[in-house]
Amino acid sequence: MTAPELIALLPLLILALGATALLLAARGSVGRGWPLAVGSALALSAALSAVLLPSCVTEVGGMYSTGPYARFFIALWSLATAATLISSGPYLSRRRLPSGEYSALLLFAAAGMGLLSSAVSLSGIFLALEAFTLAFYVLIAFNKNCALGAEAGLKYLVPGGVAAGLLAFGMALLYAASGSLQLPAATAALTIGAPMQSVALAGLALLLAAFAFKLSLVPFHFWTPDVYQGAPAPVTGLLASGSKGAVTAALLTLTATLPAAPAPFKPALATLALLSMVVGTLCALAQSNVKRMLAYSSVVHMGFVLTGLLCWNHTGRTAALFYLVGYSIVTLGIFAVITSFSGEQEPQQLSDYRGLARRQPLRALALTVLLLALAGLPPTVGFMGKLAIFSAALAAGLPLLAVVGIVASLISVYFYLQPVIQMYMTPAPSAEAIEGHSSEYGIIALCLGLTLIFGLWPGPLLELIARLTP
Amino acid sequence: MASLLFYLLAATALLATLLCITRRSPVHAVIFLINAFFALALMFYLLGAPLIAAWEVIVYAGAIMVLFLFVIMTLELSPESQRPALSRRQWAPALLLFLLLLISAGLILTFDPAGQAGVPFFYASPRSFGAALFNRYGLAVEIVSFQLLFAAAGAYYLGRRRKARQPEESS
Repeated sequence: MTAPELIALLPLLILALGATALLLAARGSVGRGWPLAVGSALALSAALSAVLLPSCVTEVGGMYSTGPYARFFIALWSLATAATLISSGPYLSRRRLPSGEYSALLLFAAAGMGLLSSAVSLSGIFLALEAFTLAFYVLIAFNKNCALGAEAGLKYLVPGGVAAGLLAFGMALLYAASGSLQLPAATAALTIGAPMQSVALAGLALLLAAFAFKLSLVPFHFWTPDVYQGAPAPVTGLLASGSKGAVTAALLTLTATLPAAPAPFKPALATLALLSMVVGTLCALAQSNVKRMLAYSSVVHMGFVLTGLLCWNHTGRTAALFYLVGYSIVTLGIFAVITSFSGEQEPQQLSDYRGLARRQPLRALALTVLLLALAGLPPTVGFMGKLAIFSAALAAGLPLLAVVGIVASLISVYFYLQPVIQMYMTPAPSAEAIEGHSSEYGIIALCLGLTLIFGLWPGPLLELIARLTP
Repeated sequence: MASLLFYLLAATALLATLLCITRRSPVHAVIFLINAFFALALMFYLLGAPLIAAWEVIVYAGAIMVLFLFVIMTLELSPESQRPALSRRQWAPALLLFLLLLISAGLILTFDPAGQAGVPFFYASPRSFGAALFNRYGLAVEIVSFQLLFAAAGAYYLGRRRKARQPEESS
């Protein structure tokens, strides 16, 4: 490990070493705010160093790239983690949860997500994926007074273990076929006519199944609603945006190394995307629990992102990444609102949202706009993302996926409007209002502002993403 | 010779793993798993990695399996699942597999197809193994150690009993 390599790794070192320091320093941190402040400052400085610091090397250890693509995602996940840390202060202190362990685990998860987004070798993907998954196992079950939280942690642990096993099997087969763990060389065995193509294809299938578990694509999605329901709301926000986003970023790196999709690979991915959009939408229609509805909605959205990847060209990948960034911003905003609405209990049932518009008009309005952004209505980033993905899919000759996606988004307006109807059109019960904290208001306003800005003026972000997409 | 030994050991490992996941009693399953680990260790030796072979026995078959047995003992399984008498159907497969392993180990020791004299190109000495682990894969080792640190901290947090909370919950 040379000095230029260490400097190139600095953003991730800030996150990982900062997390370790917080773990050591913050003992008995129940009800304290400073670990969260230190944690978010560390995450922000990691993001800043990822953006500003020039990198003298292209790769570190042959496993992780330090190029603009990697730096963009490290900055994005650090910012998402900082936003989560800032907005979860009142939530933690109301439940008397230790903020030191919480901040340390979130920072380490951010380091893992950043590593996964910058992985350029199979071993790098495996290590990074396990790094942040380990942090999430604990974070999901973080509220020890909540039985649903423990159940959710277990339900994430078991599929996570299976997915790790599948990933290792798939990588072993790919390595056996190609003799390399580096990404372009490892996937070269998939080209038609390569000596061990069938072994490599079996490896790729296992790899794909593991990725589908993490992205909760149908039929690998069964853990999603229970985990979303049981996990603390701020953790769910980061799980939905960062964890899935980092896995998508790794999948994009993987698919970008294949000049053309190997024959059975593309139909398999298309089936996953199609099933995710159809089954996710139908299941979301039946939910009366908002967090479960958002879980199924994330299944649908990952189907949209996969549609973008399936175009198998630069336009499609750019659209998928743009969609991913927009989805992350909107999801973080929605879960920040749910966090700020949480008193002793999180508002999960639709009936918990009755008449909230009268008691908390600002946050109700923000939630409405963010839900409409998920549904894909203009002038939000959701609309721009869907426009980019579906036009790329039509141009790349995937009319079926595009049409199913458009129909799914039309149907989805119904279930995204359910909480809005509850907030605005039903009389308020006599429950007292939950005062929001200024930090929560700040994060909600930031997410709302970015949703509208990127919806009205997506040009600069699209150009940036187009430049760094491989 | 080496390929014959490989197929013998591979069959042993597969059979032992299959028996391991189909046993009712967890202790029997552990016996078969140890069997599979020994077969894997001999395969590593055959591939020219004696250090990994030793670790497979010391760490997996030794430390982790002992931990497994301790966990099973502390779980205090119901007496119904612990039958006192051992029938031949239960111990015969394990004995057979261990005999196979003994024969393979004896063959390896006699002919030494993977020793330094055999195929020196593939021979991974402890020195070269350590150099590769901490130079070429140094970053991976660091990441794994961070993972283990946070896994331990998280497990400690989740397993710790909370004292301050008790009086509040009763109120």
